[in-house]
Amino acid sequence: MGSGESPKVGVFVCHCGHNIAGTVNVEHVAELASEFPNVELSTHFMFMCSDSGQALIREKIEELGLNRVVVASCSPRMHEPTFRKVVEEAGLNRYCFEQVNLREHVSWCHMKEPEAATQKARDLVRMSVARASLLEPLEVKTVSVEPHALVVGGGVSGLRAALDIGDRGFRATLVERTGNLGGNLAKLSTLYPNNEPAKDVVDRMSLAAEASENVTILLNSEVTNFDGHIGNFEVTVKNNVTEEESEMKVGTVIVATGFDPFEPIGYYGYGDSPDIITLSALEEMKRDGTVLRPSTAQPPKNVAFISCVGSREEGVKGHEHCSRYCCTAMAKVAAELREEADEVLMLYDDIRTFGKGHEDVHRRARQEHVIFSKYNKKKKPAVKINDSGIMLKWNDVLSGENCEFRPDMLVLANAMVPPEGADEVAKIFSLTRSADGFFNEEHIKLAPLTTHTAGIMIAGAAQSAKSATDSTTQASGAAAKAVSLIARGEVEIESTVASVIDELCSACHTCVTACPYGATSIEATKGVEVARVTEAKCHGCGTCAAGCPSGAIVMRHSTDDQISSMIAALLSSAFVHGGGEK
Amino acid sequence: MTTAAVELKDWEPVIVAFCCNWCSYAGADLAGTSRIQYPPNVRIIRVNCTGRVDPDFVLDALDQGADGVLVSGCHPGDCHYTSGNLKMRARWALLETAIEGAGISPDRVRLQWASASEGQRFADGVKELTEKVRKAGPFRRKWT
Amino acid sequence: MTEAEKLATLSQMSPTQTALVIGGGVSGMQASLDLADQGFNVVLVEKTPSIGGAMAMLDKTFPTLDCSACILTPKLSEVARHPNIELLTYSEVTGISGQAGNFKVKVLRKARKVLEDKCSGCGDCVEHCPIEIPNEFDQGLGFRRAVYVGFPQNTPLVYTIDDENCIKCEMCVKACEREAIDLAMKDEEVEIPVGAIVVATGFELFDVSKYPRLGYGEYKNVINALEYERLINAAGPTAGHLLRMSDGKIPKSIGFVQCVGARDVTNQVPYCARVCCMYGIKNAVMAKELQPDNVKNVTVYYADIRAYGKGFEEFYNMAQTRFGIEFIRGRVGEVAENPKTRNIEIRVENTETGEYLQHEHELVVLCPGILPPKELRVIASELGVDVDSDGYLFVEHPASNPVDTKVPGVFVCGCAEGPKDIPDSVAAGSAAAMRASITLAKGGEV
Ligand SMILES: Cc1cc2nc3c(=O)[nH]c(=O)nc-3n(C[C@H](O)[C@H](O)[C@H](O)COP(=O)(O)OP(=O)(O)OC[C@H]3O[C@@H](n4cnc5c(N)ncnc54)[C@H](O)[C@@H]3O)c2cc1C
Ligand SMILES: Cc1cc2nc3c(=O)[nH]c(=O)nc-3n(C[C@H](O)[C@H](O)[C@H](O)COP(=O)(O)OP(=O)(O)OC[C@H]3O[C@@H](n4cnc5c(N)ncnc54)[C@H](O)[C@@H]3O)c2cc1C
Ligand code: SF4
Ligand code: SF4
Ligand code: SF4
Ligand code: FES
Repeated sequence: MGSGESPKVGVFVCHCGHNIAGTVNVEHVAELASEFPNVELSTHFMFMCSDSGQALIREKIEELGLNRVVVASCSPRMHEPTFRKVVEEAGLNRYCFEQVNLREHVSWCHMKEPEAATQKARDLVRMSVARASLLEPLEVKTVSVEPHALVVGGGVSGLRAALDIGDRGFRATLVERTGNLGGNLAKLSTLYPNNEPAKDVVDRMSLAAEASENVTILLNSEVTNFDGHIGNFEVTVKNNVTEEESEMKVGTVIVATGFDPFEPIGYYGYGDSPDIITLSALEEMKRDGTVLRPSTAQPPKNVAFISCVGSREEGVKGHEHCSRYCCTAMAKVAAELREEADEVLMLYDDIRTFGKGHEDVHRRARQEHVIFSKYNKKKKPAVKINDSGIMLKWNDVLSGENCEFRPDMLVLANAMVPPEGADEVAKIFSLTRSADGFFNEEHIKLAPLTTHTAGIMIAGAAQSAKSATDSTTQASGAAAKAVSLIARGEVEIESTVASVIDELCSACHTCVTACPYGATSIEATKGVEVARVTEAKCHGCGTCAAGCPSGAIVMRHSTDDQISSMIAALLSSAFVHGGGEK
Repeated sequence: MTTAAVELKDWEPVIVAFCCNWCSYAGADLAGTSRIQYPPNVRIIRVNCTGRVDPDFVLDALDQGADGVLVSGCHPGDCHYTSGNLKMRARWALLETAIEGAGISPDRVRLQWASASEGQRFADGVKELTEKVRKAGPFRRKWT
Repeated sequence: MTEAEKLATLSQMSPTQTALVIGGGVSGMQASLDLADQGFNVVLVEKTPSIGGAMAMLDKTFPTLDCSACILTPKLSEVARHPNIELLTYSEVTGISGQAGNFKVKVLRKARKVLEDKCSGCGDCVEHCPIEIPNEFDQGLGFRRAVYVGFPQNTPLVYTIDDENCIKCEMCVKACEREAIDLAMKDEEVEIPVGAIVVATGFELFDVSKYPRLGYGEYKNVINALEYERLINAAGPTAGHLLRMSDGKIPKSIGFVQCVGARDVTNQVPYCARVCCMYGIKNAVMAKELQPDNVKNVTVYYADIRAYGKGFEEFYNMAQTRFGIEFIRGRVGEVAENPKTRNIEIRVENTETGEYLQHEHELVVLCPGILPPKELRVIASELGVDVDSDGYLFVEHPASNPVDTKVPGVFVCGCAEGPKDIPDSVAAGSAAAMRASITLAKGGEV
């Protein structure tokens, strides 16, 4: 289809079962849409994304010669790729597709206002039809993929990913900012669920990584600069000790920067007594030999644990999440301490020993007569410190009794929080963060390893708090994503970049200062100075186009005309129909 | 056109929103998946980045009769394109002056930051703007 | 391709270029895609007529309440359309020999009696079939004919004739314009050479009738969670209307009973099923969401709330604050039916207050734990792989090699390794694909 051809728009309104149709009158919307300008066909269907829904689109394109398709369904952030593929299969250019979000933006957030929701749906469809009429086919470009992956973070996740890529026969460079591999796992003694010494795990993996001819390990190093796009990223890595910088090209990146153990200042007397320590510190002690009470260097006789320290605090930003490792880790070490200690007490809220083998760990702690007591979440345990030591008072919810205990050591099960420098990492790799502060995946259910930045994956505790097993699972999975990019050798990229209309450009340099990527420059062509966009560098943000005083920049797939047409379509309808009438 | 009396009785604010794809559009998605309810008066236009929002789009919308305009993007420092939102913020200052200069109530426009994880914040922003616009009353510049 | 041609091609696969994936749930689908995207061939064997596994039956998914079909459907199509994936549904693995790089796998193609290359999925045959039987996919709540698809997104979209119930009246044969039905079709077996194997056989739901005191099977208004998922699903037997089985009324009060067949040593399920707390909360929220004006009370009876994953705790909080779901800590002792109202009385001790409660609900949903599928032991012994004490496949080094079995070239993902939610199953699917691709790339060398 040429761009000169007059638009023939097909509108497909999805019921999404009850999800949309339960609130929005989809039949009515489809009926109204059939009257909108350029609409050749408007219909509705139970599930547009199902095979039969997809077939319907293809069929109608062929039957009626539709050259623009509007699907009014769910968020384009989920299904735009699906429907683009569908229209392509029917011979249309993928950029001639437009999606309207009737679910996340209408039915689900206006559940009690079916009429207003239906009107909003009508308007949104009208706006998208207007935009669709102005959509232009764009060339689909592919770029080659540099057969080399960057892995950031040398904990078990980073190690697993680098090893897998190397074993598969491709190059991986592992960048770790400290002088050691193994990350937080290297600080642990033995691991649940099978009591394997953490050292064995770290040694096995580090030795293999060091021996692999495909894996390059850069210790004491951090990524300082990052540029380019999927398939071809340029990376600058700086060695923090030698201050030397090295540059490399990679096709894909796995971010495995893990977590920091939370330092629970202000919680349960932490910092006020040397005998109040974190679970992380206790593990380090065990790793280095025996557990001794810090103030006396004697084995502790009475030990208490408190769960969820810095976790599960509703309304406290960055601390609302469950840290997912601590219940099981706590139960494991509590049982082990019982070999020496007279009494070991575990104060908990819920016991979340959910994973494979975790209940065995929990049961063993009970068999060892670790005392479990559920504290009152609304009235958390109180810690007093005086000359005679630590006094712990709490309300045991199950018996209703107020209890007291004098531990000679108090262990706080501290949360996992995003590591220092996570802000920088997010910025460098354009990652978004979820409410817990960890990096956001592309889709929480079905795409937990890829991110919204094409070519960049996340794995392990960098994605959310979790155990080593769950971390390395994600790491191998992320490696699979990286490897398939490299194995295919090339990848399609978005054509939604900026371009300059020479005749309109006044060479004012506005776009040059506006572009975050240095993609715009002023060049002399045939003696006349005009702006140029280096497409490979353009990320398509459109900042230049919005700034250009001469309207000389065309943002492909987001042109001024396309945007203005949506505004006009909405407002003309608002007046024709008398505003958002009731 | 309709008379003022009729207008006020039937009137519901019409608000145009520009949301960047990476944070606020996703935040609005999250508001939906979390079933957070907010006023149905906004019509979202998805742009890649708030940096794409030409002040002319905002003026254009008001000029054509929108009662309010919302621009929503990533928090400063979190822009998917590093700094598009900062450019928007700089333009916004000028835009506000222009709007006030034209005698339009600043209550009709709003620039907000809402990340992909802040469904509630997005909804709250919409609620607040809708209430303000409702107080400010219908805005029909083109026809007055 | 005709069936005969397909089987001929399969028996000639190049083992160093081909992986076998057993089980077409979300984890097996992901493993297949990630292998196929690398350019390897994948033979995906699924025993039921469609891929999708349990996820295809779910209504919404925690913690975002995304609709399950909406996010799964594109994956189903992607698998079905991938040029490197050979989909063998309604098929079973009957024998395995050989070693990494060169396994020989016997696959039984059960006679579906409908030709895959001819059926267009139009469904014209269905109304002509005189037989009606409970639909397994709807947990027996809805009905299907002897010629059927379990659900509209059945992938591949090919009908199946269930031989056990078919009376050979040939009504469907006459109805099918495409001549796709062949009632004389026989089971066939094919031996396929493959280099690596991924086991993704998922789980089986715990049979809640093993707790007679909870009244399942005896009282109509006691149902299990998967039945509930089908009940509230728009594509389910009631077209998504939440109603109770005894009289079709919208239940005003619903009780969810957690940990039924989980964390219970005496019933041989000592482990936590890892998903029930969250799907219980999800379904509780859905009741309020579907019927905000009618459902007045929703109570969850639990032992611990294990909201451990990303966004889970936040979801749990939201269920309490935004949806007003009540949570009572206590293992339900027994239930009884009020013969007049058919309401269900739950007897439980609130372990937080020590109170002994008798709560009446109009509907009670038991949230069962999950079990390894029965055939897993058979497959494991064919493969020479160990199972652990809970009955799932054994992994020797969970911290470093979480998807590797002890047999080189054999990997495991999803619930076949132990209970998991969807994202963890998907991640494991990708991980198993990664490890299997190494075996293939190295030609089986360990
Ligand atoms: C007290 C405790 C006990 C535990 N017990 C167990 C157990 O028994 N069993 C179990 O399975 N799990 C256990 N865990 C969990 C386990 O520690 C984690 O799952 C695991 O460490 C996560 O690995 P990771 O590689 O994702 O992250 P990390 O171990 O945090 O590694 C991340 C690495 O990235 C590096 N890094 C960070 N930022 C950058 C940057 N910007 N540039 C370069 N490098 C960077 C860090 O230096 C670090 O080396 C326990 C955790 C704790 C705290
Ligand atoms: C009531 C309920 C609600 C749930 N809700 C949620 C939710 O909201 N969010 C969430 O994240 N998770 C939820 N889950 C968990 C989710 O269902 C699982 O995480 C997911 O289905 C696991 O996928 P899988 O591929 O491992 O297994 P399955 O989905 O069980 O798939 C296994 C597949 O293998 C096939 N198979 C089995 N044996 C063989 C064999 N021998 N040969 C060939 N094929 C075989 C089966 O037919 C099946 O298709 C829920 C579970 C239940 C029971
Ligand atoms: S794992 Fe247990 S201790 Fe840790 S935050 Fe979650 S509930 Fe609390
Ligand atoms: S759209 Fe313009 S400002 Fe944005 S990256 Fe491309 S050239 Fe630069
Ligand atoms: S068997 Fe025939 S009638 Fe039945 S769905 Fe397939 S093509 Fe249609
Ligand atoms: S991408 Fe959100 S403001 Fe730039």
